[in-house]
Amino acid sequence: MCDIIWCKKEVDGKKCDTINYLDPYCFWNWEGKINCAECGTVYYIHMIQGFMYRGPEERPGEKSDTSPLYADKPYDGYSNYRPGVEGRTRPFQCTPRKHLLGVADKVKFSIRGRPVRGWRPQPPSAGLAGSHGFNWDIQKLSPELWEEYQKKLAADEVKDW
Amino acid sequence: MAQDPRVTNVEDLPGPKSKGEMDEFKMPYEQYCKKLFDAGNEHTKPKPLNGIRWLSCTMYIFTPHSVANLAELGAEVIKLEIPRMGEPMRHTSPFNEVYLYPFSDMRPMTGTGLGYTNANPNKYFVTMDYHVPEMREVFYSLVKKSDGLTELYRPGTLDKWKMSYRFLSEINPRFIYVWGGGFGYGPKVFGGSYDILGQAHAGLASITGMHEYMGGHCSKCTNWVIDWQSGNLISCAIMAAIHHRRKTGLGTMIEFSQVQVPTRMLGHTTTMYGKFGIVRQRWGNWDTQLAVHGIILCGKSDFPDAENPQDRFDARYVMVSAFQDRDFKELCAITGLNELYEKYKAHKDRVEGEAQVEIYAALERWAADKSRSEVAKTLGDAGLLAEPVRNDREVYESPHYRERGTVRWMEDPLFGDLVVHGGYSTGLMEKSPRRINWHWRPLGADNKKIYRDLLGVPLTKIEEWYKKAYI
Repeated sequence: MCDIIWCKKEVDGKKCDTINYLDPYCFWNWEGKINCAECGTVYYIHMIQGFMYRGPEERPGEKSDTSPLYADKPYDGYSNYRPGVEGRTRPFQCTPRKHLLGVADKVKFSIRGRPVRGWRPQPPSAGLAGSHGFNWDIQKLSPELWEEYQKKLAADEVKDW
Repeated sequence: MAQDPRVTNVEDLPGPKSKGEMDEFKMPYEQYCKKLFDAGNEHTKPKPLNGIRWLSCTMYIFTPHSVANLAELGAEVIKLEIPRMGEPMRHTSPFNEVYLYPFSDMRPMTGTGLGYTNANPNKYFVTMDYHVPEMREVFYSLVKKSDGLTELYRPGTLDKWKMSYRFLSEINPRFIYVWGGGFGYGPKVFGGSYDILGQAHAGLASITGMHEYMGGHCSKCTNWVIDWQSGNLISCAIMAAIHHRRKTGLGTMIEFSQVQVPTRMLGHTTTMYGKFGIVRQRWGNWDTQLAVHGIILCGKSDFPDAENPQDRFDARYVMVSAFQDRDFKELCAITGLNELYEKYKAHKDRVEGEAQVEIYAALERWAADKSRSEVAKTLGDAGLLAEPVRNDREVYESPHYRERGTVRWMEDPLFGDLVVHGGYSTGLMEKSPRRINWHWRPLGADNKKIYRDLLGVPLTKIEEWYKKAYI
C-alpha cells in the first residue's frame, strides 16, 4: 500500500492523468520534490510515517529531488513506466530503511570484529553470465576494508567469539 | 594368524595394540563419543549423499529447505532461479535491513536478505527462464544428468510447460520428482500456502497461546515452523525414494501438502477427538498432561539495565518442571506452598485445569520479587528442573552450544564472517556428518560451472543467453 500523486496537469490541452506511486520504502518519512513520470511536473510533498502531511503542491520551474518508482495511466489502458526509465522513474535498488528513513543499515565487520560483506556497492566479479569465483579476496577486492581490518588486528579488537 | 597355533601373537589378540589404543580404551565414554563426532572437523569426513544431484525450482523456505537438507549432507543441489530477479526470499530480510552484498553483478546496490538463511546453504545457483522453449531443452539435459527435482508451482503448472513428472520420467526413468504444494491434491488443490496459513488451516494455531479467559489468544509460532518442518519431512520422503530406487531402479513422484504438516505435529489432538469427541483447547505455557511442567513469569529481569528491550523486559521467564510427586513436594516446600502439596498430592488432581491455574498463579506470586536466574538457581539447587527461557544472544553465548559446535562462526568464502547454526543443529554423525560449505552464493553465481562444465555449452552460447535474459 502506498500513497500516490495523481497528476492532472493539462499538457497541450490534454490532462496528464498519470498516477505516480510513492513507495513506502522511499517516501515513508520524506520531504522534498518529486517529478511526474509522464509530464515532468514537479510536486512538493512532506510525508510523516506514511501520512501525506503536506502537498502535493506544484513547484513550477524547480528541480525534483527524486522520481517515483513506478507510474501508470489507468485511462490509457494502464500503460506504465516501469522502474528505472531515465528521467521519469528511479531504478529499484531495494533500498533498505533505517527507522523508515531510507538509509541502509550496513556493516563491514561482524560482532567479533572480522570482515563481513554487509555493505554496498560491491565490485563486480567480472565473471561470465554473472558467475562468481569462490573466494572473496579482501585485500584485492576491498583494500580499504583490509587496511581497517589490519588496524583492528593490531589493536586486538578481533575476537574468537 | 600365526602359522603355528601354539604361537600367540599379541596383534591377534583382542584388546589394545598400542599405548594410544590403550588410552582410547580407558577413555570415559563421553570423551570417546566426543572424539568420534569431533565437532569442527566435519569437512575431513565423507559426505553421505555424495553423488546425488538434485534440481530445485523452489522459493521461500518450505521447499528450498527440503533440498538444503540434501545439500548439507553432500548432495550437489542446483537451484534454478529467475534471471535478474532471483527467488523472492532473496529480497526478504528482517525489517528489510539485513543484507549480504552483492546480490549479483548486475545489481550491485541490492543484497540478498537474511531471510534466505538456512534454506540455501551449499547449493549451486543458476539462473534459467524455462518458459523459453530453447531453455526447456537445456532443462531436459539437466534432468538427464540428475537424480531428482523439487518444485513448488501451482498444480499442473510444470505439466503445462511439459516439465512435470510424466514428461521427465520419460526422459529419465530413475528421476524422483517432488511437488511441494500448498494444499496438495484435494478440494483446495489450487490454493497457495504460507506458513501461517498452514498453522491456521490444520489447527496448530488454535492450540497455541494461552486460553482466552487468561487473557491469551490463539497464536502462531513467531518463526515459520511449518515451513521448516515441511522441508524436513520432504527430505525424509526423498531419502525413502532414493532407497526405493536402489531396489527397483525406478524413480517416483512425491506429493507434499504443506498444510497437512501441522496435523502431524498435533500429537494426540485428532485421535482424542475421534475417540471422545473432545475438541482440544489452548493451554499456552503449561501442559495438559503434566503438572507442574510449564513456564512462569518472574518479577525481575536478569538484565534490568540492558539497552535491548528483549533483554531488559523479557528476560523474566523460566521453565519449571516438577510433576512427579516427590518433586512437587520439594517445589512446594521451597516455595512455601505446602498447602498446595496437601491439596494436590496426586498428579491426577494437580493436572486438572483449575488446579493448574491455582498452582501456577501461586508460583508466579512467589517469583514476583525474584529474577529469572534466582528462580532457576533456587530450584536447580534443590534438584528440580528449571531453565531460563533464553533469547538469541544467550543461545549464542551458551558454552553448551559452542562446545557441541551447534552455533559456530564460519568464514564464508564469499560473504566473510558469519555465525551459522542450521547445518550443525541437526544432530551429530560420526562418519558422515552434515556440513556448511557456504551460506549461499549470489544470483547466477554458478552459471558457468553448470552450463559449461556440466552440460558442455560453449561460452559464446552462454553469453548469448545471458544477453537475451534467458539466464
